[in-house]
Amino acid sequence: MLHKLQSKIVILLVLVYFIFLNDFTYCQSTNSNNLFSPENRLRFGNSLYIENDYLRAANEFKEYLKINFNDTVQFKFANCFFKIGRFQEAADNLKSLFFSSSLSEEAKLLYYESIFFHKDIKSFRELFSQKKYYPLKYDFVIERMNSILLLYDDSTLPAPNLLFKSFPDTVQSQLNNFYLRKKFPQNKSAVTAALLSTIVPGAGKIYTGEIGDGITAFFTTLLSAYLAYDNFKSDHQFKGWLFTGLAAFFYGGSIYGSAASAQIYNAALRFNLDKEIKLFFEQRNYFLPEIDY
Amino acid sequence: MKLKIFVPFIVLFSVNTSSAQNLKSQFDLANNLFKENHFFDAITEYKRLLFFDSAKYYLADAYYKIGECYKAGTKFDDAIKYFSLAEINSIDVQKIFDCKIQIIRNNILRRTTDRALQLCEKTFNDERFNIKRDTVNYWRGWAYIFADDFESAALHFAKINHNHELKILCEQTDNAKLSVTFAKVISYILPGSGSIYSGNFFSGLLSLTWNVFAGYLTINSFLQNRIFDGFVSGELLWLRFYRGSIQNAEKFTIEKNLDISNKALRYLQNEYKGIKP
Amino acid sequence: MPKLLRNRAKLNMKIKISLIDALLAVFILIALFNSLHAQTDWVKWEAKEINYEFQKTAGHEYKIDSSSFGMTILSLARNAYYFFISDLDGDNCPFSPSCSQFFLNAVKETSIFKGTLMFADRFTRDLNLFKGLNHYPINRANKYYDPEENYTLHSNKIKL
Repeated sequence: MLHKLQSKIVILLVLVYFIFLNDFTYCQSTNSNNLFSPENRLRFGNSLYIENDYLRAANEFKEYLKINFNDTVQFKFANCFFKIGRFQEAADNLKSLFFSSSLSEEAKLLYYESIFFHKDIKSFRELFSQKKYYPLKYDFVIERMNSILLLYDDSTLPAPNLLFKSFPDTVQSQLNNFYLRKKFPQNKSAVTAALLSTIVPGAGKIYTGEIGDGITAFFTTLLSAYLAYDNFKSDHQFKGWLFTGLAAFFYGGSIYGSAASAQIYNAALRFNLDKEIKLFFEQRNYFLPEIDY
Repeated sequence: MKLKIFVPFIVLFSVNTSSAQNLKSQFDLANNLFKENHFFDAITEYKRLLFFDSAKYYLADAYYKIGECYKAGTKFDDAIKYFSLAEINSIDVQKIFDCKIQIIRNNILRRTTDRALQLCEKTFNDERFNIKRDTVNYWRGWAYIFADDFESAALHFAKINHNHELKILCEQTDNAKLSVTFAKVISYILPGSGSIYSGNFFSGLLSLTWNVFAGYLTINSFLQNRIFDGFVSGELLWLRFYRGSIQNAEKFTIEKNLDISNKALRYLQNEYKGIKP
Repeated sequence: MPKLLRNRAKLNMKIKISLIDALLAVFILIALFNSLHAQTDWVKWEAKEINYEFQKTAGHEYKIDSSSFGMTILSLARNAYYFFISDLDGDNCPFSPSCSQFFLNAVKETSIFKGTLMFADRFTRDLNLFKGLNHYPINRANKYYDPEENYTLHSNKIKL
């Protein structure tokens, strides 16, 4: 009797153990013994998504969506393309979520972000002005993106209080600084630089900040001119004309180079400002909120 | 009654078996993709296998195969990562050794030969792999080849076999190379001779001509008390061409040696029948 | 008895080593797992053949520009300069493109007169002993990158 009871208890324990083991492997393994079932594809896709393996995750989500449509999965599918920089595809795949979806506001925001990061300024401006697919919940975010694009662009800037009204107070002074430098750049005039070099060779280069080049131009022109004079004085005609030509060569180069250096100075000013603005916004993730889906 | 007790066991056992069969099929699918050179897709299927293999039965093998896929795509950083993971998760000593060798091979291909040699040293001193020292020396040799040190490579191949094919090749390559120091020294003495030594006869002769001409102009100017002219021709002509001849001697000799090394490497890549990195 | 003790000691040692190995493995696994999040597979790639050969530095290109008669003459003159002078006097130009190439590109881009002025300016800048202070970008060959497009007086062509 006792022996039978013991054996039954053993059998029961083993049975319970197997159930747990199977339950564990069953959940982690397959629902329907098919690793490519939609549910398993989704689970695998989610794990790839967490690992930032977005291209593979997108493929899994795509296969899942062929059978079952799901808002969150569709959003994640589009987000995969967004993460890997395929913004056009991200935008195209968000459109099905714009209406009667729990994630419609988030989808519209991501859509605007896709157009923004795709640097399609014309499309963004069109969408913004017509308030097309406009996420009212993220109104201030879209306004910020529009302000950033205006700051990047070389077109006419509106007044700063209008441009930066949607940004936090803590960054207003920095943004105003960018605005002033954009609107009133401290450019150098190419004509002034050329005229200065005409009067004193190399002066135009010093005016644009190229002091070493300016001094070099001055001394090479001066030296060549002196050698020309000296050779003519000593009746060495060939050498005299040689150094005259050299002097003219350096003199002409100095005038031309001064004008060119003023243009390069202005281009560098613009380039550095644009780089600074870009870095400022990149460090703050363009003031974009984390989308909770 | 007794039979009824065993029925649930049979059912559960069959479920587990079919689950294991699925993973086996998945592993085979991934292997087939690998054999067909669809490495990107093979990685996807190996990752799928890893995700669903809760018992981690295929862990080491899958990581190893993923490493091989990345290696085939010349993504050596990723390959090394996965071979390292395979090594950590392997129990079998042979498998651990295979992983270590793969990491060394990837470092060779990645041209991080210092790291490859470091790993070779470590593996060589590992007591578990005492019987595999010939293999380690073989890959040491390859690491030295990729570091353009054929002399050291020959030494290590010689440790395997005194008549090893690669030992003979490395010795021949090393002997065919020219001495850069010698080329520079003779160029200091006679401008242009370094270029002639490295096989660029016309360039060497031209360099010598320029040096002689510039030297004549400079010395003649000084003799005629035209100091300024002497300085100009000395600085702008003679010194320039003299410096140029030394630079060229070095450049041409290095280029010639690179050609010799590349000839050996071309043979190794296209004709050598042994195991390559 | 001593044999038993020896075996026990060996076993204890093995356990200690395997514990240490296990800890090391866990640590490496954690570190590697974190780095696995960095993703390189965002574009589908194919198998590639690696070339064992060492890369050689490129020398002068003896091209002949046949776009016009003037350019052909100039490129022939440039090739002659390369062959008889530039290839023999060493690597002296700190700029990329070199001064001779700059001149040819400048003439091709603008005209012989403007190109000569651009070259005169470039030559003067080359004579500047402190050119390193001028914030030229430095390219892979460790040369100052100074393309002729920056000196055409067309600000939209400037590349920084």
